[in-house]
Amino acid sequence: DRTPGGPTVHIHNGILQYEDPPGLMEKTDYLIREWINIYNSQPTGRDSTKAFSIFVHQMNMNGILKTDDLITRFFRLSTQLCVESVYRHMTDQSLTGNHLRVKCYNTLDAFVRLVALLVKHSGDSSNTTTKIHLLNKVLGIVAGCLLQDHEQRLVEFQQLPYHRIFIMLFLELNTPEPVLEAINYHVLTAYCHTLHILRPSKAAGFCYAWLELVSHRVFMGRMLAVTPQQKGWAMYAQLLIDLFKYLAPFLRNAELAKPVTMLYKGTLRVLLVLLHDFPEFLCDYHYGFCDVIPPNCIQMRNLILSAFPRNMRLPDPFTPNLKVDILQEITFGPRVLNNFASMITPTSFKKDLDTYLKSRAPVTFLSDLRSNLQVSQESGMRYNIPLMNALVLYVGTQAISYIRGKNLTPNMSTIAHSAHMDIFQNLAVDLDTEGRYLFLNSIANQLRYPNSHTHYFSCTLLYLFAEANTEAIQEQITRVLLERLIVNRPHPWGLLITFIELIKNPTYKFWSHEFVHCASEIEKLFESVARSCFVQKT
Amino acid sequence: GVAPLGAVPLLKEHQAQFQMMEAAYYHMPNPGDSERVRSYMPRNQYHTPPYYIQSPLPHSDTLEFYQRLGTETLFFVFYYMEGTKAQYLAAKALKKQSWRFHTKYMMWFQRHEEPKVINEEYEQGTYIYFDYEKWGQRKKEGFTFEYKYLEDR
Repeated sequence: DRTPGGPTVHIHNGILQYEDPPGLMEKTDYLIREWINIYNSQPTGRDSTKAFSIFVHQMNMNGILKTDDLITRFFRLSTQLCVESVYRHMTDQSLTGNHLRVKCYNTLDAFVRLVALLVKHSGDSSNTTTKIHLLNKVLGIVAGCLLQDHEQRLVEFQQLPYHRIFIMLFLELNTPEPVLEAINYHVLTAYCHTLHILRPSKAAGFCYAWLELVSHRVFMGRMLAVTPQQKGWAMYAQLLIDLFKYLAPFLRNAELAKPVTMLYKGTLRVLLVLLHDFPEFLCDYHYGFCDVIPPNCIQMRNLILSAFPRNMRLPDPFTPNLKVDILQEITFGPRVLNNFASMITPTSFKKDLDTYLKSRAPVTFLSDLRSNLQVSQESGMRYNIPLMNALVLYVGTQAISYIRGKNLTPNMSTIAHSAHMDIFQNLAVDLDTEGRYLFLNSIANQLRYPNSHTHYFSCTLLYLFAEANTEAIQEQITRVLLERLIVNRPHPWGLLITFIELIKNPTYKFWSHEFVHCASEIEKLFESVARSCFVQKT
Repeated sequence: GVAPLGAVPLLKEHQAQFQMMEAAYYHMPNPGDSERVRSYMPRNQYHTPPYYIQSPLPHSDTLEFYQRLGTETLFFVFYYMEGTKAQYLAAKALKKQSWRFHTKYMMWFQRHEEPKVINEEYEQGTYIYFDYEKWGQRKKEGFTFEYKYLEDR
């Protein structure tokens, strides 16, 4: 876990809990009840500015505002009191459906309004630091109460009170007011830290509410659209990675129980929204996402890999005689916001790799490759997947600059006979089925919209197919491509281009291979794909 | 489903996570949990047969759409859907039909005829107004509409 420090220090301070001085609980109980009554009594309610100043005076009289520590305690106790009252309503047999909900909302909304007003009015209007500290502290307190509650009540835990507090406070803090606009970026940062602390792997009982918060239209809009210079993108990507990481062990076994299916469907929906509204975001962070999504989640990954910049026009992959080589776009590299080179560890391995790329020696580097990537003997978990991904992308990007350095452009002949291709061919030949599957997946993860990586790796995959010394390699290349195409749309452009080239171009003698005809279902499948490739669309 | 790398038994921590998630699954968040309280028309989810319309008509969140609605519908939206975009659009549509909101009586007024008196402070004449308590349109003769009670002067 990240060490408490920087802006999160207040969140972490809020999470910590100590003994309270005697009588504070009673005072807090009295005050918060009073406030809930004021808030819910018309016509003072809602805006409640006047009631608020009277209330602050009352808090002062009770000595709550004397020290920072007492304020913190007041917030923690009142959070607990509000949460307790929600639990009480939920066990009250006389309350049903909407009545129950409204009772809970009335308590929680009043508390939220109090917090929002205190944040807004703490310090003078230009003093942003005090406001942000207070907000961080409150978020930390609510997060701390949640984690403690989650641990103590276990399966009796309720998401509702925390969900409502977080979302309503967020909406309050995002109303169009100059005081709030000035601290908006800090509000977003505080929320991202809090949500990261409460990620599903830490509070699984909160996972559905957590996803609702992360995917809330106002939150997503602020994080990805409203905040200038894409300053919210990295933080938002982190939250998605938290989600993918949590889902991974459940998804990789493909035994989806109802609770997993629900969260998985929600995740797909979020990805669809992102693909439609923020494709550039998915483009920029695709590498980090693919690193944590299990290899068998084909559609989930296709959603990410299908994203392309909105100003780009993709040529129809089914166009007869489409010349990919002459597309302008394939000369430009895509933006990859992960430092994949630094993920090649240990440093000695990275050094050996660079040496080999430079001098194409020693040959032992190739024979040692497999053991460098392998982490266990256990079937299904033998390889370090992030290392494999980093290695493939690093070698590929190095190859592109190497070829460019010779004033050539990557194509089927310029990519051959180099240290880079040695590494790829060696991996294709030397790895076992599991390793090769992961290796080919790493390559296929780069087959996206027209760019230099897509083009290079498309050529590489076709080259590996053409030069394969066994049919097993060719079968596996076909498998990796096909399994990404037989799922429902969307399909990445580069993937389609590569597969069409493979079955169309006679040099690959695709149709003469035995695995194409091994089973009648598979044969029919290829024929139907071929029909859609060859027949001109009307 | 397929697991090309074969199934791997869940670790203890993942089993524990699953248990918590499964418990949460039985009290999923409601759509209303992340919305402001709707006092008059709370969400009331109910399974309706698929041959009934399941989602509102496209573009039904535009002013053009609201201008096609009946006046009574607009009044309903205005009084029963407080603080929503719908209320905002209903108010706009009413204003386009020359209804004016009286902030003291909290009712909408429309001139029935050219006012008898018009000056800086008020106008006076016969008006049609919508009485939200009796829920119907009424006529008022000799009514003085003070401009200080006119919304968005």
